[in-house]
Amino acid sequence: MIGGNRPTLLVAAIGNPDRGDDGIGSAVARVLGPQAPAGVRVHECGGDVLELIDEWAGCAAAILIDASNPAGDSGRVRRLDLVSSRLPADFAQNSTHAFGLAETVELSRALGSLPPQLVVYLVEGERFDVGAPLSSPVAAAVEKVAEAILDELSRLANGKED
Amino acid sequence: MATRTINVDYIARVEGESSLQLDIRDDAVEDVRLSIFEPPRFFEALLRGRRFEEVLDIVARICGICPIAYQMSGVAAIENLLGIEVDPQIHALRRMLYCGEWIESHSLHIAMLHAPDFLGYPDAMAMARDHGDAVRRALALKKAGNELLRLLGGREIHPVNVRVGGFYRMPRRAEFAPVVESMKQARDYAIATLRWVAMFPFSDCTRDYEFVALRHPNEYPMNHGRIVSSSGLDIVAQDYEDEFLERQVPYSTALRSTLRQRGDYLVGAMARYALNRDRLPVEVRALADEAGLGPMCRNPFQSILVRAVEVIYACGEALRLIADYEPPARPFVTAEPRAGIGYGCTEAPRGILFHRYEIDNDGAIVHARIVPPTAQNQATMEEDLRQVATAVLDLDDEQLKANCEQSIRNHDPCISCAAHFLTLNVNRS
Repeated sequence: MIGGNRPTLLVAAIGNPDRGDDGIGSAVARVLGPQAPAGVRVHECGGDVLELIDEWAGCAAAILIDASNPAGDSGRVRRLDLVSSRLPADFAQNSTHAFGLAETVELSRALGSLPPQLVVYLVEGERFDVGAPLSSPVAAAVEKVAEAILDELSRLANGKED
Repeated sequence: MATRTINVDYIARVEGESSLQLDIRDDAVEDVRLSIFEPPRFFEALLRGRRFEEVLDIVARICGICPIAYQMSGVAAIENLLGIEVDPQIHALRRMLYCGEWIESHSLHIAMLHAPDFLGYPDAMAMARDHGDAVRRALALKKAGNELLRLLGGREIHPVNVRVGGFYRMPRRAEFAPVVESMKQARDYAIATLRWVAMFPFSDCTRDYEFVALRHPNEYPMNHGRIVSSSGLDIVAQDYEDEFLERQVPYSTALRSTLRQRGDYLVGAMARYALNRDRLPVEVRALADEAGLGPMCRNPFQSILVRAVEVIYACGEALRLIADYEPPARPFVTAEPRAGIGYGCTEAPRGILFHRYEIDNDGAIVHARIVPPTAQNQATMEEDLRQVATAVLDLDDEQLKANCEQSIRNHDPCISCAAHFLTLNVNRS
């Protein structure tokens, strides 16, 4: 059970809500916010993903939501366990200003600071234009992802793990 | 006659896309080509026709790691053009913003991109397993810099709060409280970082650079100052184009700058330190001494020490400015357009960044010119590579490549910033 001094559960929504389908994380966070069980912290990360290492430090579990690159199946939802597997190579973005999510996870793994459970929900995007709304396929995935995460949070809060 | 060609098809751990070719004949480096193939950006062209108020939000998009530099040089140029004098506290807030950018930019470069070279790791992830404390310090430093950017700029990447004449929103004094706490800790981490990098093994290399940086009567330079050099240059930003020349080379999308009179030069942390060490507080100079830095550093491999010194300085300077901060009566002064040309030059983390804008009577941009630090250092980086490669020609190709890549990372080039639009000539018959 969540409570007392047990560490919290983190839901981190990654992406810029003003860039079309990159806003999938924010859209899911808005749905989750009022429904999230006690002990769950919903965090929106619209900038430097390296700071997620600090955010998930000490958490019992963290669930991430991010958009993935277009690959012909907009709105497709994938769930990856990042403790047992690594993100696909296209999530690596090695540059001086933008360590991508893949590097952030691997850096945290090397530092020994990954939470015991870390999963990411990836929603395949269609367009990332400045100021654009979510595309129809991605908008249709918002409720589905939110429900899946709420189920997962409920299991975690009750001490049931996958 | 033996020839070797060393190709590094893609240079990792720098921002942007570039490659390197070394041609070696017998025991001499015959040719060095640092090719920047980052696509052209067209920023100067797309500014034309936009209103002067839009410039700062557009140029912030040139770089994700140094957007403040683009906003500061841009705002300096436009306020120069319009004859705007801002409140001293607005100057102070802009300097604070720059401190945040120097801290997060330098810290990432020092620990994540450059340190693995010295310690023999392929990347920061591999290094983190053995040097976790150093990496955690760097993450904390980057976060502290980001906090300052978020508070003053609205967000840490591509900030949105700077405007011509001031800021859109002024922070209240109370909002600085959490930043002060993290910045105090950040300063301790910065000192620990300097002591860590001071223990690295440094290759022997001495270069006779002409250093170019800003110099201010009483500040370590960020937003203001004359452009000076170690060979006696001493000009205002308006005279930049009289002294510096940009030219194109066929193998690179970045223009290359030279001093018209003397050729290659170096901008960045080493140049700032060489020309402004006396503007650092006594305690920061003492830490630089302790790390083995003399009054001037001419070994490019030791640029990592100078950056670490600047991070300490920026943390302390941010704390000083926050302590003295009193919100000004107005967040900005209004600006009326008038035709003219304005010039701005400030110190990006990687060195001086020059902007010039011409606007018409309606406030539309007629012409824009932006000269980033990496373009200014490109010729010098190639000469560094020639010397570094010459000194280690007996190494096998992989080791030689590693030395050359480290030499490039000595200057923390931001390739994306330097990528420029190409001149296109069309002949039709």
